[in-house]
Amino acid sequence: MNQILVIAWREITRLRKRFGGGASPVAVLLLMGAVGLSAFALRDTVSLGSGLYRVGVSGDVPAIEDSRFSVIELEADEGQALLDSKSIDVWIDGAKVISRPDDKSQYAVRALKQYMEKAELIRVGNSFAEEDAFPLRVGINYLNPYQPPAENQTGGEAVAPVTKPEEVIIPSLTPPPAPFTQVLVALIYILPITFISIFFTSSFMDEKVNRRLTILLSAPITPFQIILGKMLPYAVFSLATTALIAVLTKGDVLLALAIFAPTTLFIFAIYLMVPLFYRTFKDTTFIAMLVTTLTTAYLVFPAMFTNVNDLAYISPLALAVKMYRDEPFGWREYLFPSVPMSAIFGFAMFAGTRLLNEEFLMGYKPITRKAADAIYLMMAHAHPYLSVPLWSLLVIPIVYLTQVVFLAFATNLPVGLIVGAVLIASAFIEEVVKSVGIVVLAERKVVTKFRDILLLSALSALGFLVGEKLLLLISITMVSQASVSGALFGSGLLLLIPLVAHFIFTAIVSLLATKAKFPYALALTLGTIVHFIYNWKVLGGGL
Amino acid sequence: MSPFWAVVKKELTSVIRDRTIVISLLIQLFIASFSSALLLGMLSLYDSDTIMRFSGAGIKIGVVGESQLSEFVRQRGLTVVPFDSLEEAEAVFFQNGVSAIFVVPEGISDTAQIKLYLPDNEAVSSIIRMVVQEPLKQFENYLREQNGIEVRYEDLKGKPSTSFEFIYSVLLPMLMFFPAFVSGSMSVDSLTEEVENNTLQTLLSAPLSLNAMISAKITSSVIIAILQCMAWLSLLRLNGIAFENTGWILLLALIVAGITSTAAVLGAVLLKDRERSQFIYSLSLLAATAISTLLNASPITTLSRLAVGDAYTGGWNVALFAVVLAALYLVLWKTSRRLAG
Repeated sequence: MNQILVIAWREITRLRKRFGGGASPVAVLLLMGAVGLSAFALRDTVSLGSGLYRVGVSGDVPAIEDSRFSVIELEADEGQALLDSKSIDVWIDGAKVISRPDDKSQYAVRALKQYMEKAELIRVGNSFAEEDAFPLRVGINYLNPYQPPAENQTGGEAVAPVTKPEEVIIPSLTPPPAPFTQVLVALIYILPITFISIFFTSSFMDEKVNRRLTILLSAPITPFQIILGKMLPYAVFSLATTALIAVLTKGDVLLALAIFAPTTLFIFAIYLMVPLFYRTFKDTTFIAMLVTTLTTAYLVFPAMFTNVNDLAYISPLALAVKMYRDEPFGWREYLFPSVPMSAIFGFAMFAGTRLLNEEFLMGYKPITRKAADAIYLMMAHAHPYLSVPLWSLLVIPIVYLTQVVFLAFATNLPVGLIVGAVLIASAFIEEVVKSVGIVVLAERKVVTKFRDILLLSALSALGFLVGEKLLLLISITMVSQASVSGALFGSGLLLLIPLVAHFIFTAIVSLLATKAKFPYALALTLGTIVHFIYNWKVLGGGL
Repeated sequence: MSPFWAVVKKELTSVIRDRTIVISLLIQLFIASFSSALLLGMLSLYDSDTIMRFSGAGIKIGVVGESQLSEFVRQRGLTVVPFDSLEEAEAVFFQNGVSAIFVVPEGISDTAQIKLYLPDNEAVSSIIRMVVQEPLKQFENYLREQNGIEVRYEDLKGKPSTSFEFIYSVLLPMLMFFPAFVSGSMSVDSLTEEVENNTLQTLLSAPLSLNAMISAKITSSVIIAILQCMAWLSLLRLNGIAFENTGWILLLALIVAGITSTAAVLGAVLLKDRERSQFIYSLSLLAATAISTLLNASPITTLSRLAVGDAYTGGWNVALFAVVLAALYLVLWKTSRRLAG
């Protein structure tokens, strides 16, 4: 513990030296001030479609204050001419709105409608008594659609009991629920964490450039202590900013910390990989960008569907959205996103301790070779019969994350191709994961015999299947609370067929790559094709 | 070949050899497709027009009691099933005959309370609440009129504008300016790597001034940025997205890439290490975006306006950014000596 604190303190000193003295702290403060002030000034005005429409107004028209519109005052007689020459998109003459039939003008009218509805509400609300201005109340009640009330004795039908207390709304003041703005608020939590990780990454890069890492590694401390020590100051700082944001946005501080702590760990886990794999500075920039994009997408995309689909809980932001709406959520909902993220953190810490050695860090090799080295280093310390299935089991959360990303890519394709493309991509990534360990071990001559490779393929398939089914089980029971374990594990045959299938595909790839000396990419392609055909048949036949 | 172009060529080949530029291209493709998918998803879930287009007439709403509301619901394109009592309506509701039930009391006058019965299933009930929002608002306006309150501009229609706004104010600027952002980062990396690995002195022993060397680095990142922009523009064209002023758009993208690279290199010259330079660069970019929006001279808005063919936007607006670039470059020219010292 003491050593960890020493390294943490050294890290703080390093940062203080970097940013202490000279102009840089002033510059940082000035820039942050500028960003903060502008964000404050712009908080209501920036919207989708900023500056797109030109509106001409003449006569008595309420002021239009919306960043989408540029307003031009004109005389009543020039309006039509300007509209016809497409200099303006809409002409508002008093209470009349005149537009052209073309698309752009019609878009402008719709945008104007959205704005005017709000503006008129404010005007009506301010100038009339509340009862007159908002004359409609709607009491919303919920009925359980699956439980019709029992017919009563006399044969007449009773009014069914409602499931929740009545909720009374005023339609024009109560927009239907959409989590968009709350998702944006929740996104604010992620931003500082990704910024802080620049420093975390740089810390390792510094050591590497200055060759101080060699000295550090020869000291009587473990790589685990080094990583933890370097991470500590940044992790504390991240949690502090999370608490600060929660205070500023009037959220529940403890709840926000609980929600975002696994997310912080997850982001650090991924940024830990960047300095381990980079070769030039440009690599770092690109890898860091990739990481930021993918994690943001992974976090934001599911949260958009909060309250629409239960799978939204893949992302912890969905919990934050719930928090801002004062809606309760239970342990299941909390653990569903947090467990995989913490698991990835654990995996990254393990990888980090294995890879933090001079030979691996300093080597300049193609990125694929570096990845192979990394996998070898992670597996080499245990017996292959243990490390291969464990590897297949532990990387499942990463496979799953990658498949979500593929799905986003695929939505670009024509509808007919989406399913096929996703199936091919998923088959490919699964085959990579299952076979890569075996191929790397065979390459290093750890396993050589035909029989061994077959056995390892079977173990790898088993590990993968167990991991896959566990994840499925956890996700389904956590979300729907239904007891589906019977359906998943009840019939032995149902599990045996995919196990055999996984085994066959992995064996094909491994044997082709190691014994037949096919290039790995070719072996993978062949395995993927067979896997895809199997998946396609299963889907088509409804097995 | 002059030493200047030799450095440009060396930078470009190193980018191609490292292959990590592919990551940057993938990111852009990913963000573009992802945000489009997001928008599509959002629209189909949260936009009542889109919901109506796909499943409008299939949604049946039971209404108990006569009122103007039935007419508004029907105008929205939903199917109205009238009932005499709530009991009857509920019987049909439980047989999946109607998805929701309105109960409007007789002789509705000033402050009316109507009831809406929804299935206790968040996915279905939120869709229904979205599609009945418009008829409810119309009914509210109708009641306001009964109270003698006139609401202006209530009959506006138009066409759903979200996709249009998204493409021209988010997607296109993103694809044109993200390469510029990347090229700034690349310039920082390229220069600080020479400094931190002590290869700068070697490079300067070539027959090339410090300013020429720095300019060559900036030029190569701008070339990479503009090539990406051209690729994105053709890809958008292929997808049937029309835009005007292509020449000005490309010039603007080029100038902005120049501005970001020059600013990034300026930071690197002053700070000399990657960590601080990248951090300050990202912060300044955020600040510059915010301030330019505040001053109503944002390159994003200019680009959107050029693309939709705004009558009041043209070469002069682009020239404004050229002035900024020239000024920044002059500052860099004067301060670059600090790097050698």
